[in-house]
Amino acid sequence: MGKPDAELDKERRAFIKKVLNGTIAGSLLLVLPMPITAATPEFPEQISGIRGKKWDMFNQRFAFIVDITRCIGCGSCCVADRREYHVPDGYYRTWVERYLKDFNDEVYVDSPNGGLDGYQSPRTDIDVEIRDTFFVPKLCNMCKEPPCVQVCPVGATFKTPDGFILVDRERCVGCAYCIQACPYSARYLDPVTRTAEKCTWCYHRVRKGLLPVCVNVCPTGARKFGDLNDKSSEVYKLLHEHEVLTVLKKDMGTYPALYYKGLRREVV
Amino acid sequence: MKSSYNSHIKRIVLGLVVFAVLGFVGKIVLTPKSFGKYGPYRADAIDEEANQEIRHGTNASCLSCHPYEAKIHLTGLHKTISCEFCHGPYADHIKARKVYGKLPVKKKQEIKVLCLRCHNRAIQARPEEVIKTVVMPEHLEKQKVKTSHTCDQCHHVHAPLKYINRAKKIVGIKEAS
Repeated sequence: MGKPDAELDKERRAFIKKVLNGTIAGSLLLVLPMPITAATPEFPEQISGIRGKKWDMFNQRFAFIVDITRCIGCGSCCVADRREYHVPDGYYRTWVERYLKDFNDEVYVDSPNGGLDGYQSPRTDIDVEIRDTFFVPKLCNMCKEPPCVQVCPVGATFKTPDGFILVDRERCVGCAYCIQACPYSARYLDPVTRTAEKCTWCYHRVRKGLLPVCVNVCPTGARKFGDLNDKSSEVYKLLHEHEVLTVLKKDMGTYPALYYKGLRREVV
Repeated sequence: MKSSYNSHIKRIVLGLVVFAVLGFVGKIVLTPKSFGKYGPYRADAIDEEANQEIRHGTNASCLSCHPYEAKIHLTGLHKTISCEFCHGPYADHIKARKVYGKLPVKKKQEIKVLCLRCHNRAIQARPEEVIKTVVMPEHLEKQKVKTSHTCDQCHHVHAPLKYINRAKKIVGIKEAS
């Protein structure tokens, strides 16, 4: 015979207590939200005043400004965009066009592979003296009066209260009305899902306080994005200073939120 | 003379009621849950879009784990270039804060192609105040090196003038003494 009964009971009690404590602590650990282990966020905030508060759906104003005078046609934006969204080959959410102008005011436009491979060589197919060359990055204009939303028969494309035009992939039936309606040719029909796709100004990044990926990778600062409610932001200053800012196809009455700085009249 | 038979009216009314009920039930069943919260669309689609995977980080997120590269990159003229443009997106490298895959490193001719995406003077529309450009075989000839040289043999890819400035300094000291 070993220990007396009373001592055995004590040991038993202690054991049961430990087990109970363990199970309670374990289940609590599962139920309660885990505290953030690393103190620093994975990606530092790029647009101030978004993180740490609830997204106000009705009081947001964002603007995108493309500075033509600084674009060097490297195609970083196109590459980054493709990688962020796995855009299939031959389709472009954003692209860079090259404009050439000769001395007779004739305009030549090309965009080999949407500028995805950059512009490695000058154009060889035209035999005229070139007076002027410039690059024009294109993307969704985020119109205040979007024609694509008007024509959608199933409510799959819509303007959110915070000003972004998005596509609901679940509801889209792939009729391609919106692709025809867009005056800027910013949309395409995804060959796999058969739904309309478009540039979203990286809505998922903006909601988390990050810049759109094309703005983030632009080496010369030709693409600018910011909050118009924030009076210290670069876009607010540019839009409220004496800068020549224009929009594409103003006469269409779409009121784009995408502005171009230093845009020439040749650009359509 | 009023007819006492009104079953035809009853049938029409019943038909209308059945039609209305079916329509009402159909509308409830077929309309998505969040439809009409903000407008004639599914409001949940906004959250779905907002919760997409972020595949690109920022330079700061890359350089926080690569202090050696950070030291060189942030002091050079290439500090505005995104790490991910040359090396690939963050999400292909890190998942849940753990190293997940290796990103490719560009080598030799690939580097030359990459450099000339921006620095080729043959493409006009690259103003000198925005970027320094070169004409390719001419630049190598002028610097008296083989035309088979790749850019990174003289220029550090992260800080292009790092070695050039150092060499100038050494040569300058020699000339002075």
